[in-house]
Amino acid sequence: MSSPEDRPLAVRVEGLVKAYGAARAVDGLSLAVRRGECLGLLGPNGAGKTTTIRILSTLAAPTSGRVEVLGLDPGRDAARLRARIGVVPQEIALYEGLTGAENLEFFGRLHGLSGARLAERVAAALGDAGLADRAGDRVAVYSGGMQRRLNLVAALLHEPDLVFLDEPTVGIDPQSRHHVFALVDRLRARGATIVYTTHLLGEVERLCDRIVILDHGRVIAEGTLDELRRRASGVSGRGARLDAGARVGEALGVLRAAGIEVRVEEDLPGLEDVFLTLTGRALRDEDGA
Amino acid sequence: MIRLALVVTAKDLRLFLRDRAALGMSFALPLVLATIFGAALSSMAGGGRAQRVEVAFEDLDGSAESQALQADLARSAALTLQVRTEVRARVQRGAEPAAILVPAGFGEDVRAGRKPRIVLYRDPAKEIELQILTGSLVPVLMRSAGPGVAKELMRRGMEAMGFPAGMRAAAESMFDGSKQPADGGGETSNPFDFSKDGASALGLHVEDVAGGVNAGRKAAAGAHAIAGIAVMMLLFGLTACGGTILEEAQSGTLQRVQLTPHAGASILLGKALFTMSVGLAQLVVLFAYGGLVFDVPVLRAPGALLVHSGATAAAAAGFGLLLAVSCRTRKQLEGLSTLLILTMSALGGSWFPLAVVPAWFRTIGHFTLNAWAMDGYQGVLWYGKDLGGIALEVAVLLSIAAVTGGVAWHRWRHRFERIR
Repeated sequence: MSSPEDRPLAVRVEGLVKAYGAARAVDGLSLAVRRGECLGLLGPNGAGKTTTIRILSTLAAPTSGRVEVLGLDPGRDAARLRARIGVVPQEIALYEGLTGAENLEFFGRLHGLSGARLAERVAAALGDAGLADRAGDRVAVYSGGMQRRLNLVAALLHEPDLVFLDEPTVGIDPQSRHHVFALVDRLRARGATIVYTTHLLGEVERLCDRIVILDHGRVIAEGTLDELRRRASGVSGRGARLDAGARVGEALGVLRAAGIEVRVEEDLPGLEDVFLTLTGRALRDEDGA
Repeated sequence: MIRLALVVTAKDLRLFLRDRAALGMSFALPLVLATIFGAALSSMAGGGRAQRVEVAFEDLDGSAESQALQADLARSAALTLQVRTEVRARVQRGAEPAAILVPAGFGEDVRAGRKPRIVLYRDPAKEIELQILTGSLVPVLMRSAGPGVAKELMRRGMEAMGFPAGMRAAAESMFDGSKQPADGGGETSNPFDFSKDGASALGLHVEDVAGGVNAGRKAAAGAHAIAGIAVMMLLFGLTACGGTILEEAQSGTLQRVQLTPHAGASILLGKALFTMSVGLAQLVVLFAYGGLVFDVPVLRAPGALLVHSGATAAAAAGFGLLLAVSCRTRKQLEGLSTLLILTMSALGGSWFPLAVVPAWFRTIGHFTLNAWAMDGYQGVLWYGKDLGGIALEVAVLLSIAAVTGGVAWHRWRHRFERIR
């Protein structure tokens, strides 16, 4: 498999500006996402994340700048691009009066699926969402976690090459979140490119190869988690060579000699790991009604 | 406790004053409806300028007596006499609410002191006009038929109302010297009913000619009520269907649909088809009910009824979709649609027949789709008109559908499809 740097770009944005009157929601943003990569898009409210995703997914037009998604112009090639992208919205965008299976069949048909292929994709999606045994129930009686999982798989029926996930785990329990993570892992294994926005930094740590932090419509930081950490702690570019098999004591000596401050901490599991260890990872699907 | 209650009241008042839909429903709608009903009822009650009823008149006798009758009728303040031919057919197809036919021999009967024969053709659907007509017709006929007929009419009335024999004799003595009618008229134990006894005594032969096999007040009232309710509820129902656009926009499902490759035009077209289907189903159920329960003659011209219902559903669907894409929220849509639909229903004849209101009211009413829909339904159900007979109504409704649908489409594209 080729290294990430060798892969072609799935998303290329240069000097993107989106203005609403005098206000600029996106202000000269540039970023690139390689195929197969999972990019975490972070930023406070109003940073320009949602506007950027709306432009990339054909729902909004840029004021200026260059945008290319999967080699296509979202403005000119909207229909072709829509066939190749999946968008998981933050809100539960499902018909509550329809069953889980009916929702998936509807969205599948709109994506051009029919017959045996449609039935196969719907069954697979219900399985992915852990809802195979609740397929005939109306979405209105699903729990929040069940609705979130269905909301996610509804965007994946047509097996898109690029998936935008906008805070896909809001308001769900750790079991369902864990299930969503597993779904994202499967997407990555399939080779899909993912742009993942969230306020939960732990999710980015867990899922993303690279992180872009936006503020005031611009990229203020970009890189892998380690790169961002180093940059934040001011140790970027400092290092020391350790021999293979060095003992801890020797290693500490070498690091201190190189002027690197070393602090030893016990690696304790996070609260979510504790919770899942105690309560189990199996889904808890109680009716939402 | 009172202080807290006042705090709650102040909060609710603030919310209420900021809710334009609630304000409209509470103040604007009652004022609009009161104005419409006030205008209609004051005209019907004769306030200011009394409502005149058009009556067709055909004279097959051509005698001095029949011409005197015509002149006498023409002087009536409540009637507008239209001299026509084939008056029975005119009433049958709804051209006038009633017609008077003076057969040959009328003048001779009057001169011979016999009870003269006059034919009154009626449209039972026009009950209010018929009451006005009857009130104006009686004195004219009594004058033209001579004192013998008047005496007989009074005798029957007093007898039916239980006046003692002495009083009846005293009253009859007022007609001393008058000739008795030729056939006299027998004793009756039935209560006095002018439409039967009075008309008969005056030599008036009454024939209800509109409404097909189910002619009668029940069927007439049923036809109007069912059509009126059907059109009004169709507007409410289809506006609610159009409102699903706003629901979907709010829930995010509309955006999800828009993110599919070829959704575009299909979304609004799908909504329009859905809305029209619901509308047609609603009409079928209501008219089937009307046929079963009120004897509304729904099978007189089934093809025309179906086409007219399709045109009505299309116009209502266009109206509903236009309202939906013009409102920001479902709540706003509910407030505005209630205000508009109730006003249109009152103006357009869904609640009371436009035939009973003045001409200016009818003109305003015909700026609503309700009036055209009601005219078409009355034409098909009551007068048995075929498709050609309601072509104008169908054409107007389809035009309304095209215009409202076109504007809705334009607004839809601007608001939901344009990538901005």
